[in-house]
Amino acid sequence: MAGTDDVMRFFALWMLTHETADEGLKAAIKRGEDTGPGGMEGGPDAFVDGLAAMVQQEKEQLKADLAAGGVERPSADEQKLALEELRFEVAEMRGRMDALTGALETVVAKLDAAPSARA
Amino acid sequence: MSARSRRITGVFSKHWMAGALRSVLGLSPKRRAIFAHEWRVAFEELGPAFIKLGQLISVRPDEFGRELVAEMAAMQDSVPALPAQAIRQVIIEEFGRTPEQLFATFDDTPIASASIAQVHGATLAEAVRPVWGDVLPAGHKVVVKVVRPGSAEAILADMAEARRLAERWGHLVKDFDAIKLITEFDESVRRELDLRVEAKIADRFAFDFREDPKIEIPRIVWSRTTRRVVTMERVVGWRLTDLDEAARAGIDSKALAIYGATAFMRQVMVYGRYHADLHPANLFVTPRNTIAYLDFGIVGHLTKDERESIAQVLAGLAYRDPERALRYSRRLGVVVPPETVDTVRRELGQLLDSMFDPGGAKEFRHFGLGFIAMLRRHGIEIPSGYGLLVKSLATVEGCARSLYPDIDIIDTARPFVTRLLSDSMGKPERLEGKINAAVRAALRELVA
Repeated sequence: MAGTDDVMRFFALWMLTHETADEGLKAAIKRGEDTGPGGMEGGPDAFVDGLAAMVQQEKEQLKADLAAGGVERPSADEQKLALEELRFEVAEMRGRMDALTGALETVVAKLDAAPSARA
Repeated sequence: MSARSRRITGVFSKHWMAGALRSVLGLSPKRRAIFAHEWRVAFEELGPAFIKLGQLISVRPDEFGRELVAEMAAMQDSVPALPAQAIRQVIIEEFGRTPEQLFATFDDTPIASASIAQVHGATLAEAVRPVWGDVLPAGHKVVVKVVRPGSAEAILADMAEARRLAERWGHLVKDFDAIKLITEFDESVRRELDLRVEAKIADRFAFDFREDPKIEIPRIVWSRTTRRVVTMERVVGWRLTDLDEAARAGIDSKALAIYGATAFMRQVMVYGRYHADLHPANLFVTPRNTIAYLDFGIVGHLTKDERESIAQVLAGLAYRDPERALRYSRRLGVVVPPETVDTVRRELGQLLDSMFDPGGAKEFRHFGLGFIAMLRRHGIEIPSGYGLLVKSLATVEGCARSLYPDIDIIDTARPFVTRLLSDSMGKPERLEGKINAAVRAALRELVA
């Protein structure tokens, strides 16, 4: 029976630790939400409180995403960003093409200006 | 010794003598200020290459004393305009066509004339699709920036002379490495002489700020851009030196100051690319209540790791934690020898305390430049990127304060710092290490 008691005691300790940590986290979230975005300047403790409040926000967002049928939001953001970067690279290449077209027009203009050289 | 070398030596000797005479009775800081002033006048007298060199010095507090950096920042890069015919000739050489064949209109009267380039107004003959943003319609106002004929050759020749002089006499200069400076300057000025480099950076900034209606970046007309000519959208507005007029026009300076500082923090902390030459001439406030960036000649780059370390240094600053600021400065390349660590930590703590004291100078400039000066005093090498960033932050703070004197630049950094730190805390390798440490600490508590 002593062994069973030990296991029970271990889980009780685990549960107590969890409960205490949970209460502590809830209190930190509350303090972080109360002080608002500017409140993090109060030192390392205030920073942790503020961070806890931010994590809480992210958790609520995650819950909303899951309720909506999945956690697509971050990957959709990443995809959008990657696509935009790609669009920019293509646009940059178009810019280079414009510059090259301009350079070709310059060559033509210079050749036109010197017909004897062309002949 | 060539005639130009003799001239350079002569001008420096003349101003050194003048400085020495004026400072005979002066105290040390005043003497440095007197010499700094003489160096600036000498640089202006020696022309484009030295004006550009002075501008480079003005963004490098890691290499040069505070007085010299401040004096060089006041350097006037304004030279008498060249006749329009000389500029037209460059355009013809670059495009094989006259300005009238390239643009609907071209204004012979320059808008600005600086050591490397001269700027003229023009209007587009046809619609142009820029790399990013809306199409620029025909008739849209643009500026045509043209490298002054002969300036590239003169600058490169002067640099070669300066290098020869530095190789011969550089050992006499104790405060900085003259050869290293000239090499760095050489790279910087060669980039600046190719206007396509600046155009490419402007495009990237336009993309970075694509969803920000408050920030304007002039769009580039690539079909009218070459190595020696860049055509870009014309931005009309007020310089930071003309704010009274802006205020009369109903511009909300306070909101723009906060927004401008935040935009800069975004460049540093999010994009890892920042405008490193934001003096009042390169920044406009527009009638649309927006901020326009101009002139992307000097741009700083930061890796993700560097951004995280900068966030940690700023967190150390915000929480008056010198240990943290020093630890992460080390990751940025500021290596304090073990025998000096205690002294540097103590002096850094005093610097932070003086910043937070009631009535103390609550300025990043006070901290940033003070920290750099302290490291230099202890002979600690400062990486060039670190100096450039500190100077840029101090300059942005100065610009923002000219709009809104009470702004707290560190406050604008807070959301970015927080986000970066929380991102960094979420890294699996870091979590793994921290969780292991936390479990060990918890077990120690349990068995105690």
